Amino acid sequence: MSRRQKISLSEEDLIAALGKREKIAAEALYDMYSASLFGVISRIVIDTAIAEDVLQDTFVKIWNSFASYSAEKGRLFTWMVNIARNLAIDKIRSKDFKNQNKNQELENNVTFIDEKRNTVYNPELLGLKDLVEKLKPEQKSILDLVYFKGYTHVEAADELGVPLGTIKTRLRMAIVQLRKNFN
Amino acid sequence: MKVEEVKAYIASGILELYVLGDVSPAERLEVEAMAVKYPAVKEELLAIERSLEMYAKANEVEPGDKKRDAILNSLDYGAASEQDNKNEAKVVTLVKPQINFYKYAFAASLALLIASVIALLSVYSRLKETTILVASLQNQNREIASTVSLKDGEIDVLRDPSFKLLKLQGTKISPSAAITVAWSPVKKKVWIDMATAKMPSNDKEHQYQLWALVAGKPVDLGVFDADTISKDMKEMKSITLADAFAVTLEKRGGSPTPSLDEMMVIGKF
Repeated sequence: MSRRQKISLSEEDLIAALGKREKIAAEALYDMYSASLFGVISRIVIDTAIAEDVLQDTFVKIWNSFASYSAEKGRLFTWMVNIARNLAIDKIRSKDFKNQNKNQELENNVTFIDEKRNTVYNPELLGLKDLVEKLKPEQKSILDLVYFKGYTHVEAADELGVPLGTIKTRLRMAIVQLRKNFN
Repeated sequence: MKVEEVKAYIASGILELYVLGDVSPAERLEVEAMAVKYPAVKEELLAIERSLEMYAKANEVEPGDKKRDAILNSLDYGAASEQDNKNEAKVVTLVKPQINFYKYAFAASLALLIASVIALLSVYSRLKETTILVASLQNQNREIASTVSLKDGEIDVLRDPSFKLLKLQGTKISPSAAITVAWSPVKKKVWIDMATAKMPSNDKEHQYQLWALVAGKPVDLGVFDADTISKDMKEMKSITLADAFAVTLEKRGGSPTPSLDEMMVIGKF
């Protein structure tokens, strides 16, 4: 695999370049975030080709509505991943997608996707993956539902059959656990 | 708000939902206000964002190699502020074209329907006019045909050598009166020519009556009016023998015997 040199900028520089609509900004944006965004998208939209279309829509939307991003309100990735998740959910809820994928089993796609792909062979990430494994199963499942499957916490409570308060607590505990591991 | 309350707010789990975009607009404004007011909230938000970003990184999936160029080529570069607005408008309309399409399609169908109805009505009214016109033309045609056949009959009379023409002259009571009788003993037909008739006009109670004199006796040949409009020849009752023809003025409908003092014209062979 002849890996191209990936372009990386600091978040500050990236935001400045995005504001000027420079090509380098788009390249850096893609190299820095496409895999993370695609991880979220492809866990919601199973079909790779359709997921890649959604990724493209995501980049177009990020690019075109960048003026509505405000750095004071949060990190760039947070804003982008919410765009990606919403577009992915819109896609699987759209009529033509439903018609195409009537028989597609959407449950457990997080595990499914991870079994199907061995894309994450990145030594830097091995440590990260280990840390994720330290999450309790119920923490991982709530995190995957709301983060990767695009469930609202209300839908997740319904799906898991636990009260809303419990969902919120578990979600918070899961993220607290992640923070301990990552920091 | 006390420190404990801020801590409780942080512990409530609302900040995590905010980062996930899973809050109502009111909650969103509340969280943003809290973040501005309390550095602890802001810090907590950042920490949540960073860890979820790392979590996404840990679960990353590389898109296909070809996708990079495809995506980078699908973006518009340069001309910042103007493009922003233009493209933002584009993004907003992404979902709309379908709705617009159906809206326009519906409007177009409606317009087409209205136009069709108008066209249909106008065609219908023209058809009606045409039908009336055709009927009146047919009527005229029939009239002309009957006139032609009548004229044919008149011409036949004039051409037929068996017809004898006799001009009845006015009597003393109406010296200027005159009428022409055409008689064919062979065909037993009698016509009077209204075109050349010069009879004083009769009133509503009276009519002229044509008589044939056969061996000195009057025979009724029918009645007529001194019609000034009709210029046709009028066929009267038939007779085989006649010495003379005469016209008297009688009460309407005719009389069984002629009133000789009312004799207007007479002519003998």
